[in-house]
Amino acid sequence: MRTGAAAGHTGYYHEAVRYDTDEELLAVAVPFLNGGVEAGEPTFVALGEGTGKLVRAALPADTTVEFLPGGDLYARPAAAIRFYRQLLADQVAAGARQIRIIGEVPEVALGALWDWWARYESAINRAYDDFPLWSMCAYDTRICPPEVLADVARTHPRFATPDGRHVPSPTWTRPESFLREDRPFTPDPVQATRPAIELYDPTAAEARAAVQRVDPGRLPVDHLEDLVVAVSETVTNALRHGEPPVRLRVWAAADRIVVTVSDAGSGPADPFAGMLPVGDGAPGGLGMWITYQSCNHVSRHRGPDGFTLRLTAGSLYTAR
Amino acid sequence: MDTSASCGHLCWSYDDRQVFAAHAERLLAAGLAAGEQVWYVTPAPPEAVTDRLVRRPDFAAALARGAAAVVSLGDTYASGVVVDPPAQVAAYAAATDAALAAGFTGLRVVAEATELVRTPAQLEAFTRYEHQIDRWMRTRPFGAVCAYDRTVLGDATVLALACMHPASNRPDLLFHLYGAAEPDGHAALAGELDLSNHDLFRTALERADLHPTDGRLVFHATALRFLDHRALAVLDAYARRRNAVAVLRTARPAAARLTELLGLTRVQVELIR
Repeated sequence: MRTGAAAGHTGYYHEAVRYDTDEELLAVAVPFLNGGVEAGEPTFVALGEGTGKLVRAALPADTTVEFLPGGDLYARPAAAIRFYRQLLADQVAAGARQIRIIGEVPEVALGALWDWWARYESAINRAYDDFPLWSMCAYDTRICPPEVLADVARTHPRFATPDGRHVPSPTWTRPESFLREDRPFTPDPVQATRPAIELYDPTAAEARAAVQRVDPGRLPVDHLEDLVVAVSETVTNALRHGEPPVRLRVWAAADRIVVTVSDAGSGPADPFAGMLPVGDGAPGGLGMWITYQSCNHVSRHRGPDGFTLRLTAGSLYTAR
Repeated sequence: MDTSASCGHLCWSYDDRQVFAAHAERLLAAGLAAGEQVWYVTPAPPEAVTDRLVRRPDFAAALARGAAAVVSLGDTYASGVVVDPPAQVAAYAAATDAALAAGFTGLRVVAEATELVRTPAQLEAFTRYEHQIDRWMRTRPFGAVCAYDRTVLGDATVLALACMHPASNRPDLLFHLYGAAEPDGHAALAGELDLSNHDLFRTALERADLHPTDGRLVFHATALRFLDHRALAVLDAYARRRNAVAVLRTARPAAARLTELLGLTRVQVELIR
């Protein structure tokens, strides 16, 4: 039996918490977490350092709530999904009837990186629906831009409120629709400069070589290799499933490499591509998922000229 | 490109027989200079080739003293239409021993082998043979240049042969699978593995027919510049069919990360820096 607001619900019970003060956060989080412990449900916190300390201090000293490293966990959306799906599967295998988690994306995600975190918030409605999960995603309205709060309302079916209610979100949008929308994508300033390399219809091998050629030593070798993997998969997908011409552009800033791969097609048909390892037979699904696992930021844009995936390795441009 | 007899196994794709003949003569002359016995294996009547070679003073003397020989294809690959890989390896082993016994430093062969790979059955057997002879020559003073006429065989056939050599003159060939020089290795991989050669890689592995030792198939892959998730999945499936774990020794950290990401249990990446 599931307990609390999610009692009787099947699958994922996904809520957002919008809080204006620390007290408001605690008013939602503390009963949620203590209730999980009392019901014998595996209960987790994946908050940032500051918020995490605040919540920890409000819980009983002997609480069995488990604190996950929020910052590392929320480095890349596709990696967070993979981590959580494994965690949830393990808990269910161990006999859990419900799992409770309160988490928050790091503040850095609320700016130029928000596009892929908005996709994350939408995609997890499907990705975690295999599990009896009740989770709350906390958003501090003091630091969230309005467009982020608008997406939060659209990607969460309901809100948990400081006065103890669970209310539907009026603008809730199913992921199948939300993920098909073109999300605004903040240009990286380096994209305003002339690309170091521009190739039309490169083979995957030529694309890999182009990335390797851009100032070797700029990035740690692991990051450069991961970017090469991502570019290889993205160009392979564009050549195989997109429409010609395929255009590869590579920019090098002092601390990062930005790559765009465009083709004249309309992008992947599966709205979850990138966030989930889209199943067998779905064109390019695994390659796109690997790409999302391999870069510090991936943005996608569908415009009149076709589909573009932008990959960033190294230090991110995070302006808000 | 190293074509010395101790480690050379080169696939030479050619369009122009004259250009190839000139290159073959250079390779053989280098072998003579290194004290090797050299064979020019040709489908042409040996007399015609001999007539041309004797015009070069170095070859005239070498032919006279038995250091150089022009051998007809039919005489060397005695098994007939479809090569018998173990028998052919044994034949070259015996010839190498004979060359050493006669005081040469080794045996170097340039073989124009187009006629041996004209049917699918021939190609299948010969690619398997290419790997077997390659593995054998890792430890023996034997070198070979295998020449194929691209205008007769087509690109696909030539690439299927070339990838079983450690080196070739095909710039469009992205990967090589060949015998490992290290005593604990089952094969070596070089180049790049991606979707463009996915099927060729899978076929090459089957043709290499590697047999695990203590449940391990060790691949020396420090010369592998890239491999994608498809190649790792191919290795995983190959190792599984052979009741083994594929051990990939590579300098590429991405290989380890992808293996973990894909949850491949039959691939074990050993990072070598």
